Amino acid sequence: MNLVRRTLMVLTLAAVCLTAAVPRQAEAAGRTVTVATDATWPPMEMVDANKKIVGFDIDFMNAIAKEAGFAVQFKNTAWDGIFAGLGAGRYDAIISSVTITEERKKQYDFSDPYINIGQILVVPKTEKATNLSGLKGKKVGAQIGTTGAFEIKKVQGVELKNYDEIGLAFEDMAAGRIVGVVCDEPTAAHYALQKAEYKNKFKIVGKSFTAESYGIVVKKGDKELLALINKGIKAVKAKKVDEQLRKKWLR
Amino acid sequence: MVDQDRVRPAVVEVGDGAAIPSKSDIGLFTAWRIAFVGAIGILVVLTITKPDPYLNILKFVPDGILVTFQVTVGAILLALVIGLVAGLGRISSNRIINGIASLYVEIIRGIPLLVQLFYIYYALGRFVHVPDMASAIIAMAVCYGAYMGEVIRAGIQSIPKGQMEAARSLGMTKGQAMRHVILPQAAKVVLPPIGNEFIALLKDSSLVSILAVADILRRGREFASESFTYFETYTVIALVYLIITLFLSKLIGIMEERISAGS
Repeated sequence: MNLVRRTLMVLTLAAVCLTAAVPRQAEAAGRTVTVATDATWPPMEMVDANKKIVGFDIDFMNAIAKEAGFAVQFKNTAWDGIFAGLGAGRYDAIISSVTITEERKKQYDFSDPYINIGQILVVPKTEKATNLSGLKGKKVGAQIGTTGAFEIKKVQGVELKNYDEIGLAFEDMAAGRIVGVVCDEPTAAHYALQKAEYKNKFKIVGKSFTAESYGIVVKKGDKELLALINKGIKAVKAKKVDEQLRKKWLR
Repeated sequence: MVDQDRVRPAVVEVGDGAAIPSKSDIGLFTAWRIAFVGAIGILVVLTITKPDPYLNILKFVPDGILVTFQVTVGAILLALVIGLVAGLGRISSNRIINGIASLYVEIIRGIPLLVQLFYIYYALGRFVHVPDMASAIIAMAVCYGAYMGEVIRAGIQSIPKGQMEAARSLGMTKGQAMRHVILPQAAKVVLPPIGNEFIALLKDSSLVSILAVADILRRGREFASESFTYFETYTVIALVYLIITLFLSKLIGIMEERISAGS
């Protein structure tokens, strides 16, 4: 009996030591970071014909991971609940064209900015308005909870229509139910200038009218991961990998 | 899949609606009361003790309630018309009419409502330019018309055959007998299941939020996505739906009692 008990104790101790040692080792060897992305925002993040998640953000995140020495696993998540999922611990970080805003900073932590973009207006070719306030009394679409939607809301007299995905907003504009869409400039360019079925129908109005920066989002207080990501961003920028990616995805 | 020849008993088709209480069912009645008073109570307590965010959410939702009602009432009226046509078509002896009505019912019941909404709004939107609200109402009505058709068919078939024979022997045409003898009796039978369908449709109308129609759910999602108050917002949304459906089920229950008392 005594012998059994002693062996058990030794075994338990060994197990405790092992489990305690494993995380530390994994940390050193490079952990796997699960990153959520809403892959409906081309060319930043989208699903290609092979059902793979691709885009500027994806390449950028992979480059960061390589520099900082961790593995990345992407998780395609609807934008509507992407912040809630981070709060609930379903993933460690978000890279999904997330603009750094004061409101969001109150709830979540952001990495250093990695690219600057702005909001821009897309309208049908026949539309004469030169900016958002020229569309008073009409419906303008955006993806729900995006900075584009917040910008439309600021303009008195313009009715905001919130879509689950930006692609649905463009489709609704093609169907004539709305007269404008506001979204990030690269995405606007993708839909208005490159997509064959929209090229003849839509045009971009003027220049982007906001100055925003994208950041990678982590849970409030996750300093360790944030430091790791920032280290990666610095290295990527120093090696000018971001400029290569810009050339590859954005024109 | 559909047993079209079987004559159904008088109480037909148990829909997806909330349970309709009746006076004889005391257990249900108290459950209803607890749920209704409880839901209102929780909502009131939350808004008073924590006005931020609960009161703000509650202020944000009302125009969504209006939209939900518009979609629900519009769709149920249109669905009744479609259902009457489909229901009469399904009992028609004319093979072509019967075939078309049966095909409609089978197709619609085989496709999820969410897919139908996407299809009518976005896929057909390419060719037919219908305003968003009308499009949402039509999509909901086309779907519920099929279920309504089945309710109406079953209601008509629950009227004893002798009624038709008696009416015909009085010299009425088939159409006259249908209008003056069968349908008024069937109307009484189908009212409770139609009430159920009404409540089910109200709940399912939350699906139109994917069409960017600003109903209760869409309003809530807009609020949550800006304020990050997911727990609080969806608690309020759930309570608002619960209060509305409980209220309506009570109303339908009372209406039903009146009608059965009158017969």
